[in-house]
Amino acid sequence: MNKKSSLPEKDFFAPIKAWKFLFKKPVTIKVPYVKREASERYRGFHINDWDKCIGCGTCAKICPTDAIKMVEVEDLPQVYGEKPQRPVIDYGRCSFCAMCVDICTTGSLKMTREYVHISPDPEDFIFAPTEKGIHGVDNIPVGWTRDDDSELLELERVGMEMLEGEERVKSFMEYVKGYSKEQAIHEAARCVECAICTDRCPEHMRIPEYIKSIWKDDLNEGLNWLLKGDENNNMIGANPFSAVCGRVCTHRCEEACSIGNRGEAVAIRWLKRYIVDNVPSYEEIINFTPQKKDKKVAIVGSGPAGLSAAYFLATMGYEVEVFEALNKPGGVMRYGIPSYRLPDEALDKDISLIQALGVKIHVGVSVGKDISLQKLKEQFDAVFVSTGFTLGRSTNVPGTEHQDVIQALPLLREIRDFLRGGGPKPKIPKSLVVIGGGNVAMDVARSMARLQKMEYGTVDVKVTCLERSFEEMPADMEEIEEGTEEGVEFYPGWGPVRIMIDDDKVKGVELKKCLEVFDENNRFNPKFNEKEKLYLDADMVVEAIGQAPDYSYLPEEIKEQLEFARGRLVTNEFRQTSIKWLFAGGDIVHGPDIIHGVADGYWAARGIDDYLTKEEK
Amino acid sequence: MMSSMSEIVKNLKTLVKKLEIVEIDEREVKIEIPCEKTLNVLSFLKGNGYSHLSILTAVDWIEENKFEIVYVLFSWENGGKFVVSTKIDRKKAKFVSVMHLWPIARFYERELHEFFGIQFEGNDDMRPLFLENWDSLPPLRKDFDPLEYSKEKFPDREYIKDVIYEAKVIRGDLNG
Amino acid sequence: MGEVKLFFGPNHPGMHGNFSVHMYVEGDTVVRARPLPGFLHRGFEKLMERRLWYQNLALIPRICVPEPDINEVCYAMAIEKIAKIEVPERAQWIRMIVLELARIASHLMSFPGIGGSLGLYTGPFWGTADRDRVLDIFESLTGARVYHMYIVPGGVRKDLTPSIQKSIKETLDYIESRLPDYENLIFKNRIVHTRLKKIALLDRETALELGITGVGLRATGVPYDIRKVDPYLFYDKVEFEVPTATDGDAFSRVYLKFLEISQSIKIIRQALEKMPEGKVNVRISDGNALRYRVPKGQAYVHVESTRGEYGYYMVSDGGEKPYRVAVRGASYPQTFIGIEKYLPGTRIEDVPIWLSTMDVCAPEVDR
Repeated sequence: MNKKSSLPEKDFFAPIKAWKFLFKKPVTIKVPYVKREASERYRGFHINDWDKCIGCGTCAKICPTDAIKMVEVEDLPQVYGEKPQRPVIDYGRCSFCAMCVDICTTGSLKMTREYVHISPDPEDFIFAPTEKGIHGVDNIPVGWTRDDDSELLELERVGMEMLEGEERVKSFMEYVKGYSKEQAIHEAARCVECAICTDRCPEHMRIPEYIKSIWKDDLNEGLNWLLKGDENNNMIGANPFSAVCGRVCTHRCEEACSIGNRGEAVAIRWLKRYIVDNVPSYEEIINFTPQKKDKKVAIVGSGPAGLSAAYFLATMGYEVEVFEALNKPGGVMRYGIPSYRLPDEALDKDISLIQALGVKIHVGVSVGKDISLQKLKEQFDAVFVSTGFTLGRSTNVPGTEHQDVIQALPLLREIRDFLRGGGPKPKIPKSLVVIGGGNVAMDVARSMARLQKMEYGTVDVKVTCLERSFEEMPADMEEIEEGTEEGVEFYPGWGPVRIMIDDDKVKGVELKKCLEVFDENNRFNPKFNEKEKLYLDADMVVEAIGQAPDYSYLPEEIKEQLEFARGRLVTNEFRQTSIKWLFAGGDIVHGPDIIHGVADGYWAARGIDDYLTKEEK
Repeated sequence: MMSSMSEIVKNLKTLVKKLEIVEIDEREVKIEIPCEKTLNVLSFLKGNGYSHLSILTAVDWIEENKFEIVYVLFSWENGGKFVVSTKIDRKKAKFVSVMHLWPIARFYERELHEFFGIQFEGNDDMRPLFLENWDSLPPLRKDFDPLEYSKEKFPDREYIKDVIYEAKVIRGDLNG
Repeated sequence: MGEVKLFFGPNHPGMHGNFSVHMYVEGDTVVRARPLPGFLHRGFEKLMERRLWYQNLALIPRICVPEPDINEVCYAMAIEKIAKIEVPERAQWIRMIVLELARIASHLMSFPGIGGSLGLYTGPFWGTADRDRVLDIFESLTGARVYHMYIVPGGVRKDLTPSIQKSIKETLDYIESRLPDYENLIFKNRIVHTRLKKIALLDRETALELGITGVGLRATGVPYDIRKVDPYLFYDKVEFEVPTATDGDAFSRVYLKFLEISQSIKIIRQALEKMPEGKVNVRISDGNALRYRVPKGQAYVHVESTRGEYGYYMVSDGGEKPYRVAVRGASYPQTFIGIEKYLPGTRIEDVPIWLSTMDVCAPEVDR
């Protein structure tokens, strides 16, 4: 009875109210006759712009369900900064979270506003998304896209502390201070491990691996990656000049970095430097126990290629001797690059490991003069030559024969010798014109700016070159920017007519407007407007328009057997010349920078090893 | 820490000498205690308003060779939470039951036995709860590898279609 | 009459989800009952230990189908608590809006759903259709209808645009206008009264002793709601009431859910009002999402879900993956100890009512 009295009082008309629903439109829609498009942010199926996609595989890495696999696409062009692969998505696994879209380094991945995909065949649930999506239709409405809020990459680089331009021009002190631990770990956390940089690096350094070591704060492991590379794979990717390259490498890797597509590339070079600067000494961490081999290899020239070859050969157990004409080992690293970019200590750190491996370096011994190549051939089982580009080129315009018109390389050598107390003070002009738009010209200009500042308190250096803009100039943009900050003035787009000489003193340079540097076939063929002139005052002119090799140490009969192309030696992929026992590398084979030299050293070492092993049999 | 909670912590310090206190936020405090004091501390907290057992769980600290047993106690009066934790030997994974304090602990303990292999004295119901015919390590132990396990147990499915060819046809690079 | 063992399993239409109970019955009366979970055990806690901090976002909502957002918010808040991250205000308000919308969606499935157990099928039909309107909002806000993967550590993934705000307001108005219809259909229905009143009783002392939370507890007269007792997000900055009842029976539990919808609507309207402009997330760690790290530490975070206290106990060892995440399923107590203790004595036809009004929820129990 109680229960009944608690029953609700219901409106008398309540049942009638129900009738109103008869006349209402149904809430359902008639699928498939009515098509409903999903909302603007809907995470439907994937579309991938194949032209934008670089195959970095970051989508596959973030995928929480392991639904994305990178599959090789054979006929995609093999270009730097890309991998010939594209993501393939398994909709049996996909959770439609769109993390792949949010982390995509190029923004090529997006999702559509489609709801439905039906098929009785399980094979229809795996596909490689293209611009046309899973159903192959043009102009599919796009749903979820990445925006600033959903961004999963960190696009901004951790800033590097540097001395200000006005401060750094006062001395030759290294002005890039290097990352602190926190900064390095932070910067390392930006890497997505796509290894596109590894492909790009001439030496194929294991960049993602050592960056990950930094991120894990395991610098010993990082140093192993730097100096030993892939230990189980012939040490590929090792670089004995990590301290040098951590400072002055041309960092092609950073140009290829996938983060660079939408943001600032990971500071690979500086991360490398962070490792070497923050380990006590290599010898404590790195040890080699090579099996001694009863063979000797001679190396001519102690530049990057020569010493790298020595390093790799020594790790294989060969007895290596290096012959260097100048008083200190290092070649361009010692005598070319100014110390504000590469201090001697960094170079010494690298070279000391090579010496610790038992490599003998004979300095002040010029092959061709003090000892003949033929003699080396007799005393050693193989010879590797890496003598570099030591001769300067001249514009040969009237007046260049004057004693105050000098070549860049000897001047840089003189400056470095002077700074380390090993030579007289070079002539410091009150006003200088540098002809040339490459990094060597920048080195001369910035070194001289420092000397002028130290000597006279003011900077008066002008750089002129044929290239008409900073972008066209072969020098690194940061060199130009930093030079400007240090007071160097730039006059791009001018070609020299003559050196103005009055009373046997250099007064300046007469220049004419350069209209075009390269012709339609992209060959060096400058065109000038002879009427448009510019006069730059100077009491010294430095020519830095390129260098050339000096093959005078090669005996004629050897020279005859060798093959040259455009002044460079032709070798096979193992840097073996047409003379079996003679290997070559560095600028005289490839150029143009240190890391290419290191790569030459690596491949030559493998080639020499191969040659000597086979010879034995 | 709320004043009412610091009051309790002060009292607890007289009860247990070796007491580690981690203040997680204003209303959440973790107290780490030696295992023999666990029942004392739990009943003290239960008697002082922290009567709701939010969760009873364990953490496998394999490198330390310990299991950490965690009780989260919540007070409906002031919203404070005490995370009571104690560590036991991983090799002799045995602990006391708290089912006389909280009936639901019987099931939490059963779960911990199933997933970590921890025995609870005083709880005689240690039958498996979630898993059927389980034949490997207790799965929430850190040394259990689920990927290996499923590779062993379940077949993989391979797709046979040439997806790249299909994509090229869709793109119009190739004629299908 | 002899005792018969009855398997009440996941295939049974009266069963509340993928769950089973072994019942020993004499005639129509249950003598003993044994809960048998495990059909939905997917090892979430283990899987979480093996995925990156960010990757887990795709996994965790799947613990709970009708209300996935509580997982996201617990996961995010636990990380923020350990890493001591300040989340932008706007993000906190958006999270509250999402949580309350999810509560409405879940309740709209749950309280009319009782009609399914009673033969009143208009209820579930209406509820499902109206829930779809909330899912439409989710679709436009988060990009997905069911598993939103929207609340991330540090904030939310995308901003709440003015047009979505407008559609939220419209939908709230619509749902509010429907509430009298529901009241008429269900709570003024004689059958519902007869079948639910004084059925599946639970008293306050037992509820507290067993650790039952949510409407099951509030139906016994205590206003225990985590949003009030241990406020998270900005629940202390909005005005709302915690409806309670004193009967402790099935009817009051269902009715409380119905009443909570109005409160949720109230909260969302205030949130839309109070929400400032600004950023919607901050980074929880340096670098890209593949390399997020959370400092060493632990935290217990709980929220008021539609079924009661839902919580995550999270431990980080400072690495790139969670070291341990333990999930407190809201219905854990009522599922295990509740079934064992409360089903004996009830008639078979009341068993589904007990399971359904106590919100026995297999996925969060099994995990």
